[in-house]
Amino acid sequence: MFFRILKKELKKKKAMNLIVLLFITLASMFVGAGLNNVISVMNGSGAYLEKGGVGDYVIITMGRNSIGALDEMLATEKAIDSYRLDTAIYGSRDSLRKGDGSKLETRNVLLMQDLSASTFHFFDENNQTPRALEPGHCYVTSNFLEKNDMKPGDTLEVGQGDVTVRLIIDGRLKDALLGSAFMGNTRILMHSNEFNQFLSNEEIRTSYAGQICCIDTNDVSAVEEATTKCDNVNFSQPKDTVAMCYVMDMIVAFIVLILSVCLIILSFVVLKVSLSFTISKEYREIGVMKAIGIKNRKIRFLYLTKYLGLAIVGSVLGFFLSIPLGKILLSSVTENMVLESDLGIAINAIGAIAVVLTIVLLSYLATRIVKKATPVDAIRTGSSGERYHKKSKLHLSRARRTGSSSFLAINDTVSSPKRYISIVIAFTLCMLFVLMLVNTTNTMQSENLISSFGTRSDLYLDSVSESMNIMGNSMDYMEKYFDEKDRKLAELGLPGHFSQEWQYKYNVEFNGKQSKIVCEHGFRTNFEDLVFTSGTRPQKRNEVAITKLLSKNLGAKIGDTVTIDFGSEKLDCVITAYYQSFNQLGQVMRLHPDAPVDPKYMAATMAFQITFDDHPSAKVIEERKEIIAANFTNDSVENCAEYVASCIQVVPTMLSVQYLLLGITILVVILVTILMEVSFIADEKSQIALLKALGFRSRKISLWHVLRFGIVSIFAMILAAALSIPMTNLCISPIFGMMGASKITYAIKPLEIFLLYPGIIVITTLIVAFLTSLSTRSIKSSDTANIE
Amino acid sequence: MKKVMEVKDLCKTYVIEKRQNNVLKNVSFDIEEGEMIGIMGPSGSGKSTLLYSISGMDKATSGEVILDGKNITELSEKELASVRLNDMGFIFQQMYMMKNLTIMDNILLPAIECDKNAESRKDKVTRCEDLMRKLGIIEIADNDINEVSGGQLQRACIARSMVNNPKILFADEPTGALNRQSSAEVISEIEKLNAEGTTVLMVTHDAKVASRCSRVLYISDGNIKSEYRMPEGLSERDRERALNNWLMDLGW
Repeated sequence: MFFRILKKELKKKKAMNLIVLLFITLASMFVGAGLNNVISVMNGSGAYLEKGGVGDYVIITMGRNSIGALDEMLATEKAIDSYRLDTAIYGSRDSLRKGDGSKLETRNVLLMQDLSASTFHFFDENNQTPRALEPGHCYVTSNFLEKNDMKPGDTLEVGQGDVTVRLIIDGRLKDALLGSAFMGNTRILMHSNEFNQFLSNEEIRTSYAGQICCIDTNDVSAVEEATTKCDNVNFSQPKDTVAMCYVMDMIVAFIVLILSVCLIILSFVVLKVSLSFTISKEYREIGVMKAIGIKNRKIRFLYLTKYLGLAIVGSVLGFFLSIPLGKILLSSVTENMVLESDLGIAINAIGAIAVVLTIVLLSYLATRIVKKATPVDAIRTGSSGERYHKKSKLHLSRARRTGSSSFLAINDTVSSPKRYISIVIAFTLCMLFVLMLVNTTNTMQSENLISSFGTRSDLYLDSVSESMNIMGNSMDYMEKYFDEKDRKLAELGLPGHFSQEWQYKYNVEFNGKQSKIVCEHGFRTNFEDLVFTSGTRPQKRNEVAITKLLSKNLGAKIGDTVTIDFGSEKLDCVITAYYQSFNQLGQVMRLHPDAPVDPKYMAATMAFQITFDDHPSAKVIEERKEIIAANFTNDSVENCAEYVASCIQVVPTMLSVQYLLLGITILVVILVTILMEVSFIADEKSQIALLKALGFRSRKISLWHVLRFGIVSIFAMILAAALSIPMTNLCISPIFGMMGASKITYAIKPLEIFLLYPGIIVITTLIVAFLTSLSTRSIKSSDTANIE
Repeated sequence: MKKVMEVKDLCKTYVIEKRQNNVLKNVSFDIEEGEMIGIMGPSGSGKSTLLYSISGMDKATSGEVILDGKNITELSEKELASVRLNDMGFIFQQMYMMKNLTIMDNILLPAIECDKNAESRKDKVTRCEDLMRKLGIIEIADNDINEVSGGQLQRACIARSMVNNPKILFADEPTGALNRQSSAEVISEIEKLNAEGTTVLMVTHDAKVASRCSRVLYISDGNIKSEYRMPEGLSERDRERALNNWLMDLGW
């Protein structure tokens, strides 16, 4: 008997059961994938660097006779427990060609190494250690291959000095130390045959070779201080700083994490709603069973068995689907990183089991009515529309212009708002996350962030070769070089001037402790443009500003004095202000324009900046961009927003995550709309039949149902749009803060936030609600006679 | 008398699990303007099916139902909806109402939807109020449907069925869910409407209710077995007695 009732239950309410099953499947899928991602992301960059053998402190040497520059320090420094040392040959963009001889795009310095001799761990696209290479083959950083639309199997021509080799690409490489968006170096791992061709060349060995050293130590400060005494040190940072280089990738990872948590919350909200709703539909049957004397325990057991069955089937399906979904969610982050949970798919299984337990718990709670209600109560609750006890707030007789369908829709939502809360919560949550991501992505490619990278100009010209050429020259040379650029600009009929931000790496002493610190100094840039978050802008040559992050590391605050060794002179400088910068992960100091800098000590340059004197419009700037690109040597010419986006690097990834989230949101919206509309139709069958009997056309009934969803989705979209700005500030600002920018002005595009994305969701809802409402056509006016 | 509706050879067959069930078998009869017809018969005889089939709420398997020269069995869903809205009124045994609307709004709803008189909404509201006043329910106009008695609710249903001045009013056991007093009130309202010229076709089990009709059709096993025309000039008690005698002859 029990199983006969159960069988009938499953058969009779096929559509509703199917939808509950679908939601259980989705919930297990999202929970499984979400949990796995949360654990993988929480392991984060620290675990990845450990796997890559990066150690506690990293030193890279470069320049003439760099090989052996660290030998003495490595042999004598007592704080060093162990170290790994690799030799590399450095190159630039010009060192690389495609197999057909065409040029290739690459940022920053290129590194060539012998795979077999390397002491570091690298990973291929499947997170496995690359297999041994055959002569003439290589592995290349995956970012580089993506950027140049190359794939394994293609041929690469690598040259330096008189040596050129052709290599077949065997696979993509994940490089823990140098592969982050901020480092942006390209590493080529080759066979010892080819590598030795470079290394045996005297010119290459002395001018273009260097070493990469990863040190294991318990005293990073001691190693840091010992490093200040070594020559040819181009990069020296503790592991924490290297980990911070992945901050951009981690932003995406954290957004995936937030997305996963959001999907988990959403799944449980929808599950709770759908279970409560479907069980409320069973009240009448519950009443009848009670009336004929079936015990409460047995009735509850019947429903628990039914939902347990659905939960098990749905969770098993969801478990299998969660594995590829988790990979898709993480794929955008793991192009550069190895992010994985050591527990593997066990986490997905735990997620699925959690969903089963939650469903059993929710069903148990929802069937409390069995215990509480008398048979009559239960039967009445099932038939009298218990949610409609509130007084109508609107009156058709007073609504002069509203059509009957519109009035019914508005009146329904106003009279029983509780009924629509689950839809509002689900839609608002989904949309809120999409809008937060849209705000973040738009900000990352807007001019708003330029003050965190330097000073504002109309155009930014990047040329590695030009920058390399000017480095190490005198100030007189620089003046002439930039005058010449300005003259050429004038010849082209463009009123403006060139400028550039330079970085120096100086020994800075505070409280008796020496550190090598990157100091920023603008050449012909507008110092007044810089944004200082607190304190007073440096006014004299011996005044500096520092970032909050550097202040924390150095222990120096506003009002403290640091001693900077400028090379030509040592100067005691007072810290007068804090400022924010993403450069060098926020570990920078800003010098006064009159500070005694000497370009020959320059460590790096930013892009050449072009500022026009006639305040041109965006359209004119775009036209001038073309002229500049055609007349000056460059790797790229970008406007301010494009320059910010290329500095940040992760904008394309953010965009793909944004579209993925939008896709998931649309999917959730479609499913929630179908579930709720099917439930509404089942609940309102008598009213639909009545309207038909009164002479309402099916079109009008569909319109009533569709408008109801329209009202609810528009309300949810307004709510999400209104919350999106404060929520972006609340959730995303801490992530920017990790990179050194505590004060962010978000680029809010009203058209996208208030129209485009909400519009997509509202239109999707309306279309799905309309298609689902077509099933009301099968309800006949004569069904008024058959309604229970 | 002018014929409002002609029913010719109407058949209705349901197929349940491959078993054919002929509910209506070649039913034919005419309805004249101003008539109040009662349909009686045992449970399962096809009374409600006949009502729903001739009102176009259910599709007949074969046969014709002519209303104003149009065979409504051949009309599309859209055309049928228009006929139900403009030319027919319905009263159900269960007092179905739109749950979120007040009594007034429930009555007004089909009037808003109807555009045959090209009235303004204000005029429609006034007409609804007049109708409610006539049926003695104006004081519950702004009440919700769960705040009124069964009798009041059924009178509201009558008002709703009459709001578009239908040519014919169909009633399916209109007093079936009411107590004796409410039942008498409701049937008296229907009688008044009939006296004002509305044609009524009513399914009922109650001989007392049926005795108020001018003609009673007795249906059994899907066919009209007999027809009784109520003699004029009889008192209420005599009408009831006469009908009971006729029914007893039919084995009721």
